[in-house]
Amino acid sequence: MTHRAYSVSEHLFLAAAVISGLLTVAVFCFLFLFGLPLLQSGQLTDLLFSPWAPAKGLYGIYPMLKTSLLLALLSMAIAFPISLGCSFIITSLAPVRLRGFLLAVIRVMTGIPTVVYSFAALFLLVPLMRNLIGHGTGMTILTATPVLAMVIAPTMILFFVNSFTRVSTAYTLATDALGGSETQKLLYVILPQAWPGVVNGVLLGFGRAMGDTMVSLMLAGNSIGVPESVTESARTLTAHIALVMAFDFDSMEFKSVFVCGLFLYILTAVLMMLFRMSTAYFSGRK
Amino acid sequence: MRKLFEDCITILSWFAGLLLITALLFLVAYLVYRGGSSLNVSLIFGETAALDALLLKRQVFDGIFPAIAGTLLLIIGSMFIAIPVGIAGGIYMAEYCSGAIKSLFNLLFDILAGVPSIIIGLAGLLLTIFLNRHFQGQIATCLLVSCLSLALLVLPYLIRTTQTALETVDPVIRKTAPVLGASRLQNITLVLLPNAISDIISGIMLATGRCAEDTAVIMLTGAVATAGVPHSIFGQYEALPFYIYYISSQYNGPDELAQGFGAAIILLILCTGLLISALWIQRRLTTMLLYR
Amino acid sequence: MRKTIYSVSLSLLTATLLLFFASWSLASDDLSSFAEQKGVLRIAGGTAHIPVMKEAAKQIINFNPKIQISIAGGGSGLGIKQAGEGMVDIGNAGRKASEKEINKYNLKLLKWAVDGVGTVVHPKNNVQSLTSAQLQDIYSGKVNNWNEVGGVNREINLYTRDEASGTRKVFWKKALAKGDISVKANVVVSNGAMKTAVAGDPFAIGFVSVGHIDSSVTPLTLDGVTPTLDTVRSGEYKVSRGLYSLTKGEASGLSKLFLDFIMSPTGQKIVADKGFIPVR
Repeated sequence: MTHRAYSVSEHLFLAAAVISGLLTVAVFCFLFLFGLPLLQSGQLTDLLFSPWAPAKGLYGIYPMLKTSLLLALLSMAIAFPISLGCSFIITSLAPVRLRGFLLAVIRVMTGIPTVVYSFAALFLLVPLMRNLIGHGTGMTILTATPVLAMVIAPTMILFFVNSFTRVSTAYTLATDALGGSETQKLLYVILPQAWPGVVNGVLLGFGRAMGDTMVSLMLAGNSIGVPESVTESARTLTAHIALVMAFDFDSMEFKSVFVCGLFLYILTAVLMMLFRMSTAYFSGRK
Repeated sequence: MRKLFEDCITILSWFAGLLLITALLFLVAYLVYRGGSSLNVSLIFGETAALDALLLKRQVFDGIFPAIAGTLLLIIGSMFIAIPVGIAGGIYMAEYCSGAIKSLFNLLFDILAGVPSIIIGLAGLLLTIFLNRHFQGQIATCLLVSCLSLALLVLPYLIRTTQTALETVDPVIRKTAPVLGASRLQNITLVLLPNAISDIISGIMLATGRCAEDTAVIMLTGAVATAGVPHSIFGQYEALPFYIYYISSQYNGPDELAQGFGAAIILLILCTGLLISALWIQRRLTTMLLYR
Repeated sequence: MRKTIYSVSLSLLTATLLLFFASWSLASDDLSSFAEQKGVLRIAGGTAHIPVMKEAAKQIINFNPKIQISIAGGGSGLGIKQAGEGMVDIGNAGRKASEKEINKYNLKLLKWAVDGVGTVVHPKNNVQSLTSAQLQDIYSGKVNNWNEVGGVNREINLYTRDEASGTRKVFWKKALAKGDISVKANVVVSNGAMKTAVAGDPFAIGFVSVGHIDSSVTPLTLDGVTPTLDTVRSGEYKVSRGLYSLTKGEASGLSKLFLDFIMSPTGQKIVADKGFIPVR
């Protein structure tokens, strides 16, 4: 580090970074401040585990919590194998010329707005689901699942491909020299080496699945009951925030939204810290 | 036995790829099928003459021109705020920061990048309520609040992109100017930034795409169903993604629905167009190993 | 003979032209107060009011493009709250604001239409009427198959509104007699959305503003009374409500002009066109 005084521009650079960092913390503080009354009055366990019934004075976010988790886990269950398979293809299995094209297609997919996916699915999937399930409106957790999987898959694929291609060529060339097939190379050499990347990708994908609003808002029905099965209409934490924002700012209902927000924020922070810890753990192991 | 397993994996991988691509094609084809017929001038301008609408002399009521204008204003406004702060922050992270502080900032920016967009929207709404309490009746949800919130949303991407772009400049190039007597600042502005510019611009385009497509943030901070083109940044506005969401839940008849599909196609073209230009710009400097 | 025909047709023509000019000048009279104005008018709240608001805004803006009018939904609760907090100029509500709300914010109400809340089903549904008891049982979840009320053997899909909705509050108070609404009900966020949802789901039941009812949904006869404009006007259909606009304190500036316009003959004609009962 130099010891001369920083010029004005350099102070500005520092200021920019500091402001951005402060804003991140500020968002948390805002959420916490506004949600404090509800946190103080109701017990935390009550809030997290009781149903949402404002008429009876219950402001629990349990139904929304359960729905968000169910939806995220289900869509990860679909998206993870698909992403892994696609990244296998892009890294090794496809002919060289096809790889670039596929990668470009996946990158374009990351740019497609979620509202467009949801809009098409609303008229394509919902009637289909209604007939498949036999009863209900067709707007269920199960309807939102494949769409959400399609939203998070491209990002996960890019992440996986990135980590696969970082595996040292020494290993891959050695495998080729020993006569290993592409699949063998992937399964026994690349995947174990790139496992940290895969874990991180899964964490990111899960975070994205928990945090998506439009897919569940438009496709999952938004009822306030606790979902007993995935073929029921339900409301996620994010959809709850979107729906309740129209409320009286001083009301307890509105404040429940901050609890949702706090939960999502803390979840993100925890996931990110897990991300860092896993990177450190895996690189430490090397 | 093992061969069987490996073959299964191969087949399943191809199946996965096929599934994803097919789903994508199906989606696009369906959109075009339902909305293609409505892609004409009246989708955008309704019954108002195009020239009058463009010159803002008359408001468009049955077309999506206000929504398109709103989205463009959003992009311009939020990029105007986010680009300077993002690039400056990225420069700081890449050049002036190290050690524990860098880890801390990295963590904070990762969190900001990972926070769901609706939380950012909620923060924007809270800010509005907070300001409204203090400056009684003067601040309300408007274009300005939305631009600020969207800027916050894309800030971590810009910082991260600038940081990575600067850090991956060839060490030889990085060391040349200081050796010749340039100051640190001169090195950054005259050598490093121009070198990294294509990555930075590609990052900007990606961030712009993000601003254009985001619905959750603008839903809470000022997008409404009917507003025309706003006359000032303190006015409410319409936006394409919000229009699509709104139409999806309430449309009066198949014509309005076809309009919704048309709007979806337009938004799709806008976002993928931005993304493709970002990729094209970045390709000039292919640093990633694509082939193995 | 020819002379008679000529004179009759001439007088008819003159009469028509006079009538045309009269109504045109009447319209422009109501709008002329907007002539020198400019500024922004923010309206939010009840979703039942939106068609009238949009049409009124359209006429005003076409007359004077310097005015910007933005209209948001959100429900009656939002309208009352935001008008009170000063975040919008005019808040719309489909229910009467409570005493507490009026006093807290010093709100002034203007009732410019009468409307009802009717139960609706899909046009293909063969169930055409219900009793209040049946309706309450359906909404509370006790009855959950259409064949229990004379329909096909399919589960009843319940639709309800979000909690900020004035339409929901009126329906709950007057049609459901404050009974429970099942937590399994799907939630939609506006009258338009309710109509679209019911029109698209053959086994749906929902409730919507009477003014919004058109051929895409079928209103259910409740205790022998069908919700139509006439039965609401005559009071025979009990589930009725007024459409209100609220301002913080006395309306002034653009808000006052806008509300005067709604109460003017042109404005009330818009109200009638959109399917509501004008107060004048």
